Amino acid sequence: MRTPISYFLIVSAMLFAIGTVGVLVRKNALIIFMSVELQLNAVNLALVSFSRMHGNLDGQVLAFFSMVVAAAEVVVGLAIIVNVYRRRQSASVDDVSVLRG
Amino acid sequence: MPLDNVVFWVFAPVSVGSAIAMLFQRNAVHAALFLIVNFFTISVFYLVLGASFLFAVQIIVYAGAIMVLFLFVIMLLGVDREETLVERLKGHRVLAITLGAGVALELFFAIRAGVGFATKAPPSFDEAVNSGGNVVALSRVLFRDYFFPFEVTSVLLIVAAVAVMVLASRPRRVFTRAGSETTSEDTTSEETT
Amino acid sequence: MIDQAWLIPTLPLAGAAVNLFLGRRLGKWAGWLSTILVAAGFGLGVLVLADLLSLPGEERVHAVRLFEWIGSGGFALDATVRVDPLSMTMTLVVTGVGALIHWYAVGYMEHDPRYGRFFAYFNLFVFFMLMLVLADNYLVLYLGWEGVGLCSYLLIGFWYERPAAASAAKKAFVTTRIGDAAMMLGVVLIWVHAGSLDFDAVLGEGAGGLSQGVATAISLLLLAGAVGKSAQVPLHVWLPDAMEGPTPVSALIHAATMVTAGVYLVVRSHVLFEASEVALAVVLVIGLVSAIYAALASIGQWDIKRALAYSTMSQIGFMFFAVGMRFYAGAMLLLVCHAFYKALLFLTSGNVLHGLDDETDLRRMGGLRGQMPISATLFAIGALSLAGIPPLAGFFAKDHIVSVASQSGRDLAWVLASVGAFLSALYIARPLFLAFFGAGRNPGRAHEAPWRMNAPLALLASGAVAAGGVLGLSAEGGRLERFLEPVGGVLEPGHGGLPEATLIAVSVMLAVLAVAVAWWIWASGRVDWEAFPQRQPELAGWLASAFYVNALYSWLVQVPGKGFGRALTAVDDRVIDGAVNEVAEDVGRASRLAPLIQSGFVRSYALAFLLGAAALLLFLGLRF
Repeated sequence: MRTPISYFLIVSAMLFAIGTVGVLVRKNALIIFMSVELQLNAVNLALVSFSRMHGNLDGQVLAFFSMVVAAAEVVVGLAIIVNVYRRRQSASVDDVSVLRG
Repeated sequence: MPLDNVVFWVFAPVSVGSAIAMLFQRNAVHAALFLIVNFFTISVFYLVLGASFLFAVQIIVYAGAIMVLFLFVIMLLGVDREETLVERLKGHRVLAITLGAGVALELFFAIRAGVGFATKAPPSFDEAVNSGGNVVALSRVLFRDYFFPFEVTSVLLIVAAVAVMVLASRPRRVFTRAGSETTSEDTTSEETT
Repeated sequence: MIDQAWLIPTLPLAGAAVNLFLGRRLGKWAGWLSTILVAAGFGLGVLVLADLLSLPGEERVHAVRLFEWIGSGGFALDATVRVDPLSMTMTLVVTGVGALIHWYAVGYMEHDPRYGRFFAYFNLFVFFMLMLVLADNYLVLYLGWEGVGLCSYLLIGFWYERPAAASAAKKAFVTTRIGDAAMMLGVVLIWVHAGSLDFDAVLGEGAGGLSQGVATAISLLLLAGAVGKSAQVPLHVWLPDAMEGPTPVSALIHAATMVTAGVYLVVRSHVLFEASEVALAVVLVIGLVSAIYAALASIGQWDIKRALAYSTMSQIGFMFFAVGMRFYAGAMLLLVCHAFYKALLFLTSGNVLHGLDDETDLRRMGGLRGQMPISATLFAIGALSLAGIPPLAGFFAKDHIVSVASQSGRDLAWVLASVGAFLSALYIARPLFLAFFGAGRNPGRAHEAPWRMNAPLALLASGAVAAGGVLGLSAEGGRLERFLEPVGGVLEPGHGGLPEATLIAVSVMLAVLAVAVAWWIWASGRVDWEAFPQRQPELAGWLASAFYVNALYSWLVQVPGKGFGRALTAVDDRVIDGAVNEVAEDVGRASRLAPLIQSGFVRSYALAFLLGAAALLLFLGLRF
């Protein structure tokens, strides 16, 4: 493979940054969650790139575990969002500002 | 031009573009779809990087299960619900974008310092590491060196399943004639009385 | 007996303790106990005197060491009783006159609910006074000094429910405190420069080693204390107000004993005063000024006790005047005679108060000699003695002092002293005539005091008659003068001035003239003295207010006091309270700002996370 590894890393960084901005800027809870998934994927990409660079499979294993955990997390997170929606009839994150001091 | 280069330069813009597009969608379904595109591109990257198993798993689990779940919930909550573009918090958007760009820049510099922009991958990956195929090699590492974390993740999945069952159920209040309350756990999605 | 001299102060101390704790149980006996103890002190004093007289002149100085009082590092001080002519003179006056006043007070304070406490304080006073005069060093003297000040405060304010009494007590204490503070400095200076506080050491050779400046400083500081205690100008303002106390208190403390403590102090320390060139001159001037000032003020008083208070001030002025001329024996003779006739005058006026239901205003008295003949006679004796009519006691004392002024060549002083003597006779004849002669202006019927109250007064009267002649006949050089020689030295008779016979004649004539003028103004009915305040309001005002000294002092203290108070209040309000309030307000402001972080918006929190993460990244990036 002749593509420098750093290119993949740069892509990963950009995806991570985009995901971050998405978490901060969007108001819909689901889209925020999706942005979080984007971030996780960016990290996975970086892990696999490093695994290729270093010549062992540890990075891939870690990426695998990351995916497992992400799946579990998505499941629980969506259940929470559904609950919140039931309470407030709104999926906007700005409406759950009960903890305001 | 070598194949992997072409692949990279085709799919990288798609990846970043779909991510940015996801960001700009007002409709949640459209955003989910763009994210699915992004996942596909990432799985291609995995393939190029020699992680064939992950390439498959990415499509099956992420695009196939997780995003489907997302779409279920979007449908459940109302697909035509669109969020307002008005930003309530002053300066929040600007600050967020600035910081995001800042983080990206920091990462660029970290990459340059750590890895170097021009480093190429060692060519002997397939023969040395992926001997017997990626699946076999991966399982060799997974079930020997990382066995314990593997078991832990299985526990984690069970816990998650139980948690969801608990979270998603709704207590149903039953009013008897005598005026006392009893609750019964009900997993059906009926409206509360 | 000399070695048992310490019993003399101890007896009244015991009496004070007993009366303080058991006074209520003792009832009437509290007063008798106190009186007997003081009388016993007098008896012991006589015995000690007899012992002393049996010794030849030079040996008549004894120090009886009781115990070591302070032993601290390089400073050691013993509690010692000094038996010498000067201390014994004072002791006998204090116990003798004191016992008679106690006897009178038994009758006078009969109906007072706090009878026992009164005699406890009375005895306590006698104890402290005796400690003062029997001290052998300056610290024990100072202890007695402060103690009599305390008792004076307690006794002036004895009827503390009356606000006038309470504030008079405070005024006395504060004013004398000023003098006492200066005196303390003087004592410290003595210690610093003479290395000891014992009288033998300081007043013997020690004084010779003191420089002019130091001796002057010490003398003037001690004088300040004396001026305060003896109510001389300028620290005199407390004495007229002190008349708020019961009459026996005025008699004992503010006539016979405490106010003479200043004179005693200066006479005792005369060596120090002589070592300075100016100190004695200051004493003389203060004495003369006080004498004349107080005499004028006394003429303007309508309250009989205040008139007598200013009279005391004036007489003590004469004593200081004598001291200023180094005529110590003369001052002491006047002190002794004054104790007799002033106590007599005060207690007789107590009879008048008693008889007229606490009326003290002379304008509401008159013609009382019909209703109170004995009191009238007694008052007359006391008044004429003070005036200096021979052969009564006061004549010997005062005439001698005035004569010495001329004989020592101080002609101006002699003239002023003679004026003062004239005014003295005038001011004391005034209440005599106003109260007991002339038309009766009081609607009530006055009753004479019972025999048990007049008996001690009779004894005092005999002293007022005879003391001068017995002690002071100057032809032989005076018994008292010779007695005091080891302590005070003998005054060389001056050879200037007018011949003695002339001086005597002048002083007697002035006294008689003054009495006659007083009779003409206040008793004959030919002068409308009642209208004087209306016809001459300004002059009457000056005299009655004693030349507005109180107002002046109030103003002097009030103006800087109020200004200072206002400044401090401003500091307190703006700076101190301001700082505290500022802090509180800052806290409030901060706590109003703080919740703004907790907007409740998850996205803001997330932004905060990102900020932190970015900063951390930056830090890590720069490190590596």
